[in-house]
Amino acid sequence: MTMTPVRPEQSAVRRRLTVRTVPGRIRTGVAVLLVLVGLLTVALAAAVGNARSGVQAIGHDAGPQVVVTGDLYFALSAMDAQVADILLTGRGAGRDAAARRYDQFRGQAGAAAVQAAQLAGDDPERLRTVREVLDGLGRYQRLAGEAMLLARQSGYAAGEPTREVVATYRRASDLMKIELLPKAYNVALDSGATVRQAYETRRSEVLSGRNWVLGTGALVLLALVAAQVYLARDFRRTLNPALALATVLALALTGAGFLMLSAQADDLREAKEGGFDSVLALSRARAISHSAFADQSRFLLDPGRADTYAQTYLDKSQTVLYVEPGEGEPGNLATYYKGLERIVDAYPRGTFLGFFGDEARLASPSVRARLAGVLTAYRDVQRDDRRIRDLVARGDRAEAVSLRMSRGTSGATARFDAYDRAVVALREAHAHRMRTAVRGGDDGLRGWEWIPPVAALAAAVLVLAGVRPRLAEFR
Amino acid sequence: MRRLVLAPAAAVALAVAGCSLGPANDDELVIGVKADQPGLGLLDARTKKYDGFDVAMAREIAKRLGYGPGRVVFRTTPSSVREAELKARNVDLIVASYSITPKRKTQVTFAGPYYVAHQDTLVRADDRSIGDVRDLAGKRICAVTGSNSWRRVTEERGIAARGVETPTYGKCMDRLDAGEIDAVSTDDLILAGLAAGRRARIVNAPFTDEKYGIGLPKGDLARCEAVNRALTEIYQDGTATRLLHRWFRDSGLNVTTHVPQFEGCS
Repeated sequence: MTMTPVRPEQSAVRRRLTVRTVPGRIRTGVAVLLVLVGLLTVALAAAVGNARSGVQAIGHDAGPQVVVTGDLYFALSAMDAQVADILLTGRGAGRDAAARRYDQFRGQAGAAAVQAAQLAGDDPERLRTVREVLDGLGRYQRLAGEAMLLARQSGYAAGEPTREVVATYRRASDLMKIELLPKAYNVALDSGATVRQAYETRRSEVLSGRNWVLGTGALVLLALVAAQVYLARDFRRTLNPALALATVLALALTGAGFLMLSAQADDLREAKEGGFDSVLALSRARAISHSAFADQSRFLLDPGRADTYAQTYLDKSQTVLYVEPGEGEPGNLATYYKGLERIVDAYPRGTFLGFFGDEARLASPSVRARLAGVLTAYRDVQRDDRRIRDLVARGDRAEAVSLRMSRGTSGATARFDAYDRAVVALREAHAHRMRTAVRGGDDGLRGWEWIPPVAALAAAVLVLAGVRPRLAEFR
Repeated sequence: MRRLVLAPAAAVALAVAGCSLGPANDDELVIGVKADQPGLGLLDARTKKYDGFDVAMAREIAKRLGYGPGRVVFRTTPSSVREAELKARNVDLIVASYSITPKRKTQVTFAGPYYVAHQDTLVRADDRSIGDVRDLAGKRICAVTGSNSWRRVTEERGIAARGVETPTYGKCMDRLDAGEIDAVSTDDLILAGLAAGRRARIVNAPFTDEKYGIGLPKGDLARCEAVNRALTEIYQDGTATRLLHRWFRDSGLNVTTHVPQFEGCS
């Protein structure tokens, strides 16, 4: 066999492996077969577990957390915008409507904060952040209430708040801007990070699990065919029906497992890239837009900080849709309006940056049509902004305030609402895709907690049943 | 029969062995910082040590990423080479008053911001004529070669201030002392560092948001998310407040000690 002499311990091992009797060989073969079936079961169960974790994270845990915290940010921004509007209006028209909206957004913010706390679950850092938002919300409401009370008591004309009112509002608004909003936003981002990580690791594990299923399944089939051949040759039987059935079962299990895992990988990708990514981006775009819209109100309310609010309005607008100033042009609102007109006119041609730019790059034809609507509505909002700032520059504050506050179809608030509805509708289209994919993933996994062990057990029984009569021949 | 069943078993064993882990983690973290920005990132020519708010922040982040003091290497990264250094992977992180902008985001992944600075105005301590940026109309402001800050006053805001060409911010301070200019306008954290030990005052009338981000090679999302988590911790446990006070308390600047709104890793 070999040139070197066999050492005693080696020959002992070999003796154990080299089974000389026929029943011994059969028993060894059966043992190997059962181990292989066990490996296939383990590979399948592990891949199923990974798929389930992935669907759970995107569809049921961190995914919804992103939406809820995004809504929290939006409701907080909208609350602060309404307070600015109420203070801006003074005893003028539109105060009651703004007050109703304030109550509505306050309710939404409270509900979203509670829900976010529930969804934060066992992540201590995230839970702490949500708690801080809830605490801050209480302080904010006190300060805002104080400012609104002062406004009611002094009863000034629209656009002419008293110094005291502005000072109190500044404290409320700074609290919102510096403490509450960043925390709400960061929780949304952190949940988004959890989804991304879950997606990347789980999906690649599902794909490698699929290869393991294919590999172990092939080994099981190979071993079963080998067993069939061995029995046919050495025992002169044509076909062992039990083994044949086990082969069919193993083939079905491997095939079905492979297809199911492929579908899971596709569902995960669709949920993440077709749905979740855009839901997150549009939630952020919506949140930032509300925050910018509040800056427009603050710009009117607080002339002492008008420059700052104009600048933050521009920065936020640039985040939503970035406009590169032309050669030699300064980056200010005037060049932003101009560049935006150019981009919206050209769409769907041309590329741009910002949240809407990301959306435009990924968009399917149906999304493109909706996005075109969003962009037009966004341009309308910016045209109003330009008009408001022009009026202020000309010294016509009253007209600027009335344009901002008017809820008729030509009012800035109404047009902002139309824009907001368009963004929400687009986000909903993606959320629908996400839900469909998640449901597909959930449905695809149904039954797979028991299919692998039951099928493996059945295969094992069939293998044993198949060799039993042959072993019996040696008794 | 024996060969037939043993061969597949060997195949499984091989497949298991082949499924090894990826390459080991890097031993050290290379962080790009500035060497000439007092208060933020300054290299001591004698001790060869970097110090400043950016540097201290970078150390805290590194610590929370699992890199102790012995495993952090600082590297001078001037503004002009930041993107190139990240692209070439010569640095793992950049913490160097690096403003996040939509354009830079196409080339760099940004964690943070770790601080939102604001453009503000520095005047002589006894000058009461300047209260905010609008008061710069008709005044002489420092126009540092290669810096855009003064244009944000004159061009973006359309304020009729006169830019006086000056090679560096350090020279601006000399000119301010000598009365050759009336004001320096740039990020408040930079102004705070410049004002240290001089008879100058920050007016505390900020008019922009400058998001100081942490630059990472484009696409390094896992580390970016880890940095954001570290920043949340740094603010939650009071470290950020301590660092801000240590570096900027004496400057008279109002610092924000709450965690900034992150940009999101992309």
